Amino acid sequence: MERAFTPLECLMPAGNLKFCLLILNQPLNKGHFHCLWNRAALRACADGGANHLYDITEGSQESGYPCHTKLAFHDNWLLFFLPNLLEHLQGLHSVPPLKCLDFLPDYISGDFDSIQPEVKEYYKVKGCELIETMDQDLTDFTKCLQILQKKIEKKGLQVDVIVALGGLGGRFDQTMASVETLFHATNITPSPVIVIQECSLIYLLQPGKHKLHVDTGLEGPWCGLIPIGSPCESVTTTGLRWNLTNQVLKFGTLVSTSNTYDDSGIVTIETDKPLLWTMAIKS
Amino acid sequence: MRNHQEEHLPQLELIHDMKTQAQKPLMAARALRPPGGWNIGYRLQASHMESPPAFPINRHQGNLKFCLLILNQPLNKGHFHCLWNRAALRACADGGANHLYDITEGSQESFLPDYISGDFDSIQPEVKEYYKVKGCELIETMDQDLTDFTKCLQILQKKIEKKGLQVDVIVALGGLGGRFDQTMASVETLFHATNITPSPVIVIQECSLIYLLQPGKHKLHVDTGLEGPWCGLIPIGSPCESVTTTGLRWNLTNQVLKFGTLVSTSNTYDDSGIVTIETDKPLLWTMAIKS
Repeated sequence: MERAFTPLECLMPAGNLKFCLLILNQPLNKGHFHCLWNRAALRACADGGANHLYDITEGSQESGYPCHTKLAFHDNWLLFFLPNLLEHLQGLHSVPPLKCLDFLPDYISGDFDSIQPEVKEYYKVKGCELIETMDQDLTDFTKCLQILQKKIEKKGLQVDVIVALGGLGGRFDQTMASVETLFHATNITPSPVIVIQECSLIYLLQPGKHKLHVDTGLEGPWCGLIPIGSPCESVTTTGLRWNLTNQVLKFGTLVSTSNTYDDSGIVTIETDKPLLWTMAIKS
Repeated sequence: MRNHQEEHLPQLELIHDMKTQAQKPLMAARALRPPGGWNIGYRLQASHMESPPAFPINRHQGNLKFCLLILNQPLNKGHFHCLWNRAALRACADGGANHLYDITEGSQESFLPDYISGDFDSIQPEVKEYYKVKGCELIETMDQDLTDFTKCLQILQKKIEKKGLQVDVIVALGGLGGRFDQTMASVETLFHATNITPSPVIVIQECSLIYLLQPGKHKLHVDTGLEGPWCGLIPIGSPCESVTTTGLRWNLTNQVLKFGTLVSTSNTYDDSGIVTIETDKPLLWTMAIKS
């Protein structure tokens, strides 16, 4: 059975994609953030992710106009400005304010060793659910995902993909922790989980056949296949510039990096072991 | 002639202790290694900081012999200036030359690499021209199965042998940020490095360092005062069936490290200043550098 997926569909402005958004403890990319926040069915922060959410929404946590600095220099100023304008208008016309316009997450989870006390207090006062998770063997991201899946089931939501923002930069150990969470994710949720930061996306392919649609127009110039957990004895691909045919992918032997696409717009991958797909997002 | 700023900058020093017990030879190139394998001590010293009385005053001069590779990622000024002056050899892997050019703006002439290698698909034409005119060696490497970093390392080792240099460590700057596939390519190079050079290879970017531990026992000195708050052990190539550590906040005893089971991240140190690690498979050590 072939699993079909369009990794960058969540970043396309239009569409009916149903997804949830997790914000991890890494600097946030404004472009991705604003594209994803408004359309997410559920929004959560993993511990220090709340600090980054607080910073990136500075000035618009309260109702009113954003500061002019952001208006002048922000590429997506309309996306940034408009929610606040709407909120102001709602105030004038007595329309109940939409929660998403306050940039309040549905919940913040973690062991709370990264979230700044004032940030934690702010979101607590605003009525966000704070869920403390003390298990030291699981990462904040993994625990956040477990809670998310429970809420998805409780609300009976249909979810096409779970998008985690911010798991790939900064501390190297945290990047690896994000990858580890993708391994656990298959036991936590049936929804695909992708991790995005800056220009990179990662997605763990389970053993079997996969078909990735890479024709959204948002694909950047590189992609790769990383045998990160264990060697893959047999990988076969189509749609790449440098394809593989029953090839071994293994650290120390061959890892596919700086690969790219042919013109077909579709990449197929067949693998016997879990294999990490990574691709560029156009900036 | 020393740069007058050097005295205020951290110095890098590497200490080797060789253990006497035998290690199973894994590949032909490892015959170059001493039979007991390497124990690596790693020290970053800030000469302007108050040192414990045991440190001799001239310690900051250091005897560390190392080479510097600059990879294609944004450069951290602190690390760069600390490392550039005292490196025995300096090289750029392809687009690493762009970052070198940028970070030395206004005084590029004082910061010329010994060579720049790669397939030259990342280096900007004007940067390439500049270094060419200044007499830097440009070495084109067309092998598409190996990364620029790996090829740069191969060339470095040839030059080290040709010059008969003693090298304690090879430091690669910049392999861990930006593009995820390039970060993974840096890790891949560390796997190949054991067949390329007997010198340990470490990769540094911003606050992160990675170093691949070969199967066997390792002893890391983590008491320079410049260690940051976190460290980790990442079974990146294949599962490790048995890992035992001391010196960590959360130690392991004959434990399996495996993606999907257990990966050690956000770990930290006890007060001993020494971390020992015994592993049955290659295991990636990662640690924070204090900013």
